[in-house]
Amino acid sequence: MKVKIKSNDGHIQKLAEIVGGTRSILYNKEDLIAYDCDGFTLHNHLPKAVVFPNDTNEVAQIVKYCSENKLPFLARGAGTGLSGGAIPINGEVIISLVRMKRLISVDFENRRAVVEPGFVNLKLTNAISDKGYYYAPDPSSQYCCTIGGNVAENAGGAHCLKYGVTTNHILGLEVVLPNGDIIEIGKNGILDEPGYDLLGLLTGSEGTLGIVTKITVRILKNPEGKQTVLAYFDKVEEGSRAVSEIISSGIVPAALEMMDKVAIEGVEAAAFPVGHPKDIEAVLLIEVDGIAAGIDEQINQILEVCRKCHVRKVRAAKDEHEREQWWANRKTGFGAMGAISPDYLVQDGVIPRSTLPEVLERIKQISEESGLRIANIFHAGDGNLHPLVLFDARKQGEIEKALEAGSACLKVCADVGGTITGEHGVGIEKREEMRFVFNDEEIIAQTNIREVFNPHNLLNAGKLFPTPGRCVEIKKEIKDALLKS
Amino acid sequence: MNTLELLNDLTSYLAERNLRVENGSNHSLGNSGIVNVYPKTEEGISLVLKYATDHKLTISIMGRGTKRGFGGLNETSDILLSLEDYKGVVEHTVGDMTLTVKAGTTFQEIQDYLDDTNQRIALDPFNPFEATIGGILGANDSGPKRFKYGSSRDSVIGLRILYPDGSVIRTGGKVVKNVAGYDMNKLFIGSMGTLGVISEVTFKLRPLAKYESLVLLSFPEGNMDNIKLCAKKVLDSVLEPVCMELLSPSLSDRLFHRNDYILAVSFEDVESSVHYQIKLLKDIMPANTVCNILSKEDAQVFWEKFYQITPASTSSGNNAETIAALKIGVVNFDVLKVIKKADLLQDVNNIKIEAHGGLGHGLCQLIITGAKEDILSAIEKIRKIVLGLEGYVIVKHLPFTIRKDINVWGEKPPHFFLLEGIKSKIDPNRILNPSRFVGGI
Repeated sequence: MKVKIKSNDGHIQKLAEIVGGTRSILYNKEDLIAYDCDGFTLHNHLPKAVVFPNDTNEVAQIVKYCSENKLPFLARGAGTGLSGGAIPINGEVIISLVRMKRLISVDFENRRAVVEPGFVNLKLTNAISDKGYYYAPDPSSQYCCTIGGNVAENAGGAHCLKYGVTTNHILGLEVVLPNGDIIEIGKNGILDEPGYDLLGLLTGSEGTLGIVTKITVRILKNPEGKQTVLAYFDKVEEGSRAVSEIISSGIVPAALEMMDKVAIEGVEAAAFPVGHPKDIEAVLLIEVDGIAAGIDEQINQILEVCRKCHVRKVRAAKDEHEREQWWANRKTGFGAMGAISPDYLVQDGVIPRSTLPEVLERIKQISEESGLRIANIFHAGDGNLHPLVLFDARKQGEIEKALEAGSACLKVCADVGGTITGEHGVGIEKREEMRFVFNDEEIIAQTNIREVFNPHNLLNAGKLFPTPGRCVEIKKEIKDALLKS
Repeated sequence: MNTLELLNDLTSYLAERNLRVENGSNHSLGNSGIVNVYPKTEEGISLVLKYATDHKLTISIMGRGTKRGFGGLNETSDILLSLEDYKGVVEHTVGDMTLTVKAGTTFQEIQDYLDDTNQRIALDPFNPFEATIGGILGANDSGPKRFKYGSSRDSVIGLRILYPDGSVIRTGGKVVKNVAGYDMNKLFIGSMGTLGVISEVTFKLRPLAKYESLVLLSFPEGNMDNIKLCAKKVLDSVLEPVCMELLSPSLSDRLFHRNDYILAVSFEDVESSVHYQIKLLKDIMPANTVCNILSKEDAQVFWEKFYQITPASTSSGNNAETIAALKIGVVNFDVLKVIKKADLLQDVNNIKIEAHGGLGHGLCQLIITGAKEDILSAIEKIRKIVLGLEGYVIVKHLPFTIRKDINVWGEKPPHFFLLEGIKSKIDPNRILNPSRFVGGI
């Protein structure tokens, strides 16, 4: 179909034709500005255009066109990613999947659902909750983030301690490869398809291996009962000890969250205050779910452990309303920092649970050295720490200082045997920090896999991996030459 | 140098480094080596790989051999690299509930070690006394409790892999949540040793269940509709079984001396919750169902017997009878059709088929005993039915001479070029477990 486009760029014209009209493409600068970054706002770059395909076929045609014409391109969902994975740093054509947002089917008998990538995470649970089912991965942005984006980032959430992250819930994918081919892996959602586990490899590959156009996910039955406990600790060490002891006592909580003093100040100043005391060092939120008959026993055990760890005050939620209030207070924790600081940088490291007191001490030093306050929100059960670096972008040099402090926090995580990201991904933000956890050979091992899928590196280039040093390139050349011989 | 000279050279090269080396011999299950090597250290494994790469020698990788009959079109490689001497716990951080072990450690050895801390790896593989953790991962083995606990891909958080040139590549890490870079762990789990040698595995652990019971629901009338209805009710209820496995009458007979279809529903939780769930289950089960409840120790005895049903290296069959094992994947409730068909095929093909499958996860195992031709014909019939259900059949155990007559993995998938591409990047000379995997990889 010939489409009228006010652009002299032949590529724009062609792309508009593929998506069937001017309503499905943006190419004017003023329209593109909204797409110059995602949830990571410290870097900006304008895309060449944004196209809105309606189905897999259109995605494949766009990809094929870009590939044949050597135009860099990338996929974007709701743009909530926190590491810059959807920022068009090479002036990409952005393939926005927000119009592919259908819930295609739900099969309660076999506990699975098929969705398009633009389908919003929370909508799935809302669509099936009347039958008593839900979709487990629950990132804090679940009310607006898309399941396609969750697959790209292997998103987690507060409840992944017991139920796992996105990769544990993906049964099948339809994928458009960087050359425009459409493949289906995990056909019909059947487990252990013969061959290498491409499902596992693609999930969390941050949109660098292919574009997911259809997703089969596992759905779960709602637990019969759930209960949440709130505990206040005067000392972080004691809260931290309680976390370890709860878990090693044989309980697998559905969620186990911790906030430190600065974080508490933030959430109490924001939209959902619940009256946490300001003088405590740590608050713990512990949720257990499962068969109602077993919950009281576990709650009593948790209360006992907390008391043993010198808790100041501990109690279970008196009703569902209070439980929800506590969770709203915690789940809006990142945004709440806006109430006490003009800007904040969210970091995302993971540490062995037992090293928490040591890590918090070192983060405190980083805070003092940088002169920036750092709040800590912690998925304590699985060791996923979110230091929130508070700063003021209007002040000269504070952005750089915040980035440096964030990176220093990640170095601490890596040094104690942890890693640089637990759920937000590497994107462009943490490319260099990849070196904290992987050596050159290990990074090459990964980029070698990318070459299999994305040989011309037109899809989401420049993400996830550090720029190779010259010595690395030479090493690779030597290795390639040796392999060829 | 010809191959023989090379191998003599290798033998002296390794013997100098205190590595146990033996002359190999052919095995009825294939996947042998002209020379067998038993390294005790990662460095030793690396030396063998480097030597093989430098001299373009092929390698069969093995733990203790329980999966020797699984795939492989070469009777023998140049080197059989056995990891059975490479064992032990590297690190167990009790408070963090993580464990790192060497690949040659058997599953039972790990479990025995963890018992004192009331922790466990949340896997239930077959032949736990003999199967090494490296082999379990390589073949991606799992049991009925996968329904609740998942498989290796859900429990493994880090690996040390030796690439074909002997270099060490670490994937994942030591923390339970990690999205730094590609999730490379996944690539090696289920890769049948065609990409690298797993050296160390790091797991996230779970607490041992405080209490467990196994409910065996027998359906003497063998009415599949009744079984389906019962299973659906369980799945749609508040019950949280760790498995819901359907056993064929022949398998029930072997394990429980009852020639009926049995639905094995297992609960693991605090004691009050387990009792409550059993009570609910009794309310759900249809009339004419016989209910046997095995509590803690009895349940464990049953499971111990259950995990021994899969043939291992010693069970290549006597002269008259052959044993085969199949892994079948279908959509969950199609398991009923597969198990029923397996039962019916016994008389038609004059064979014995012991079958089980998970109504919550869709994976089945069939153990077939009989004459060679009858087994091959049965596999073809089963494959036709399963393909009709859009599932797959993998032959996970069969003697080498018969294996050559059948396509172990089924047809290549349309995206085979990606699998081939990955293999070529990592093992371009194809020295590791050649022809052991899908499409001849």
